[in-house]
Amino acid sequence: MPTERELAISPIVQESVQHNTRVVSNIRSLTASLFGVASGILGLESYAGFAFYLIGTFFVSVLIWAFLAKGKQGEYFQGPLSELWAGDVLGGGMSFVLTWTLFYGLVRA
Amino acid sequence: MGDPVTQTIHRDPALFYWILFPISIVMILTGILRHYATILLQTTPKKLSLPALREQRQLLHGINLRTNYSAISASSFTARKNYMVAAYKNGDFLKDPENRGKPAGNPMTDPAAMEGMMGMMKGNMAMMIPQTLIMSWINAFFAGFVIMKLPFPLTLRFKSMLQSGIATHDLDVRWVSSLSWYFLNLFGLQSVFIFILGDDNAANQMAQQMQQMNPGGAGAMFQPGQDPDKVFRNEAENLEVVEHEYVLQGVEERVLALP
Repeated sequence: MPTERELAISPIVQESVQHNTRVVSNIRSLTASLFGVASGILGLESYAGFAFYLIGTFFVSVLIWAFLAKGKQGEYFQGPLSELWAGDVLGGGMSFVLTWTLFYGLVRA
Repeated sequence: MGDPVTQTIHRDPALFYWILFPISIVMILTGILRHYATILLQTTPKKLSLPALREQRQLLHGINLRTNYSAISASSFTARKNYMVAAYKNGDFLKDPENRGKPAGNPMTDPAAMEGMMGMMKGNMAMMIPQTLIMSWINAFFAGFVIMKLPFPLTLRFKSMLQSGIATHDLDVRWVSSLSWYFLNLFGLQSVFIFILGDDNAANQMAQQMQQMNPGGAGAMFQPGQDPDKVFRNEAENLEVVEHEYVLQGVEERVLALP
């Protein structure tokens, strides 16, 4: 945690932090649904499906890090490991399971 | 006896169109409906009288002074601090100075607090009633058959919950009834709601549990049952403890050190 003096000189604005978190959250839920569709169409079963989701989310996180945070994750996030890389994975996981189940049932017939 | 036999049941594809999609669409629509209903049902914030408003705002003033002290110079801060501490101790800002030292009003008798609690209860009701309604609707119309196969296996404990209408022993847990589709939708649609309704929408289940409605709006600082005099004294003590440091101290070196 930066000292009080450093915080006074370059303060952490709550709105910006929220905006960053919201961007990551939106991207994650959208890509989670799409991964669910892909996983259902491919017909992946239990562990393979979840592994597909985790690998895909990791890939999306790399893209966020490279293009949106421009590699400097410390400037955009207070705790980059828990916010950029692992942020909202469970919430996205719910959307993933929803679309995965839907398309798995639709395609498999 | 070797590998477990994969159980397949051939299903009519029309099942999907008549069951899966309607349940999802109904849930999305009720979510949107609930969001707008909550907005319409919100009570307008009550207008506070001038002494009451002054009481709350002066407390905010003191808290702001304590948080942002580094932005003003030492002499300026000391002048403000002395004024605020003296005023807090004298009780200049109190709504009704005759009530000093008396215990705070009972939340049941204070009308402002009642409205706050009613608001919270209305929010909770608006949340629970549609869920109960939809669950009973699903149980009435869509019970008694399996609808789809889950792509991932679950333990046996879930069998009773997810296969509610079917009494078989051997059927794999992966075959589920429509109630489980309802549960899946319940959790999975939260992110969809964030998309279409923007942030802090009333259909979000998680945000509901962390919400509190206050009739005075965002500025109201007094919880029902707190004595304002004590709160003021605490604030005065906090102000006295502050060690002031001016952010512009040493700014010459910082500016000159910039590349």
